[in-house]
Amino acid sequence: MVPQVVTQTLGTVTIWLLSAALALSIAVALIAGSLHRHRAPRALADAVITVTRGVPTSLLVVSAGIFAFTRPAPGWLPDPFPGTPASLALVAWAVTVALALGSTGHLAVIFATGYRSIGAARREQSIVLGLDPLRRLRLLTRETAPSTLAPTGARLVHHLHNTAFAALFPVADLFGWVQQRANETFEVGRYAAVGIAGYVALSVLIWAACRGLEHWLRLPATRVAHPAAR
Amino acid sequence: MILNLLIGLPDQRPGGLALSVLSAVTAGGCAVVVGILYATACAGAPRLTLVLQGALALLRGIPLLLLIFVLGQFTSLPLPATGFAALALYSLAHVGETLRAYLTTYPQAPRDQARVMAISPVREWLILRIPWTLRRSLDALGTHWISLLKDTGALTVLGIGELTTVARLLSERTDSTQWMVILVTAAALYLVTVVALIRILALAKTRLAGYGM
Repeated sequence: MVPQVVTQTLGTVTIWLLSAALALSIAVALIAGSLHRHRAPRALADAVITVTRGVPTSLLVVSAGIFAFTRPAPGWLPDPFPGTPASLALVAWAVTVALALGSTGHLAVIFATGYRSIGAARREQSIVLGLDPLRRLRLLTRETAPSTLAPTGARLVHHLHNTAFAALFPVADLFGWVQQRANETFEVGRYAAVGIAGYVALSVLIWAACRGLEHWLRLPATRVAHPAAR
Repeated sequence: MILNLLIGLPDQRPGGLALSVLSAVTAGGCAVVVGILYATACAGAPRLTLVLQGALALLRGIPLLLLIFVLGQFTSLPLPATGFAALALYSLAHVGETLRAYLTTYPQAPRDQARVMAISPVREWLILRIPWTLRRSLDALGTHWISLLKDTGALTVLGIGELTTVARLLSERTDSTQWMVILVTAAALYLVTVVALIRILALAKTRLAGYGM
């Protein structure tokens, strides 16, 4: 049982890592779009945010899965999903992209709220400094981290829970395995307990990682004691 | 197709969007009522309710799909009732914590005013403390309700005929050119419902602000 649990948990972790990274990247791109000086990119980014926030992840996963299920996986497509047959790599990728889109809108709203919270003066300062876009993004990420990391962590935990939708298709993941083994053996309690323990442990890890990042990204200025306190 | 997506397949009515909305509203409503009781108990006796708070934290770590599956396996309730119970528990895990957090920040000044005006503790709880908490937590509750409405799609794992299930069944039954139309229509229905809910919440917030709450 242990190797199976490990493989399925790795399947969940892989889907989570890939889809979360994709969701975060698209969310940052959408924020850049929604802050663009031209109206067209702004409108497009806002529309994508609204749509991805309004459509359930379950429906996105079902759509992507049905689309990919009847198509053969191209030979060049990498297969990083443990436990999923190589022939179903396209389905696994489609599910991953759908999961990413399911969280994109929510993450974009979190980032936008954080961006607004740092105030116009500091935003203008970051422009006046004349930094290249990548360094400016890095600076703004550090500035907004205190207000965005907690909700981002909560969303990433929700995102982890959403990976269970992969079980709607033959893609290896923890929930699919729990469901399959419980149905095969009728030992529902045992497998449900394993599943709950797995998801709770992964949720705690995500929460702890976000808290650690929050601590690490804390601005040096906030670490310096106030003169009055010295 | 539209009628099936709106009210369910002919042999599974009410279903479709109607069942999604009904499930979300009922489960969300029950969660708020129980959440208020939970928050009151936690605010009144924080140490005595530590186990309860721990249980709710654990519940928040369990995916809704797994919760639905476990309840579906362990209870002999009809499928819609099982799905509803899972949604209510899931909602309670989030709403309970939100209400607890806001209720504990209830300021001292209105409490003192209520004491001076000889308002009984129960009456103060009903007419001052709970409305204040609900008003303050409306943003967080609204976000959760939007999420809950979308999360009704998870009921598809039990085959309960809500909107995602109906869309999935219809798209599987149809030919290759139609399935995308069905899924896009279902997505549009969710989107319109979510936007309507956002508008209702914004209106409620304005009205409550008008009452000075």
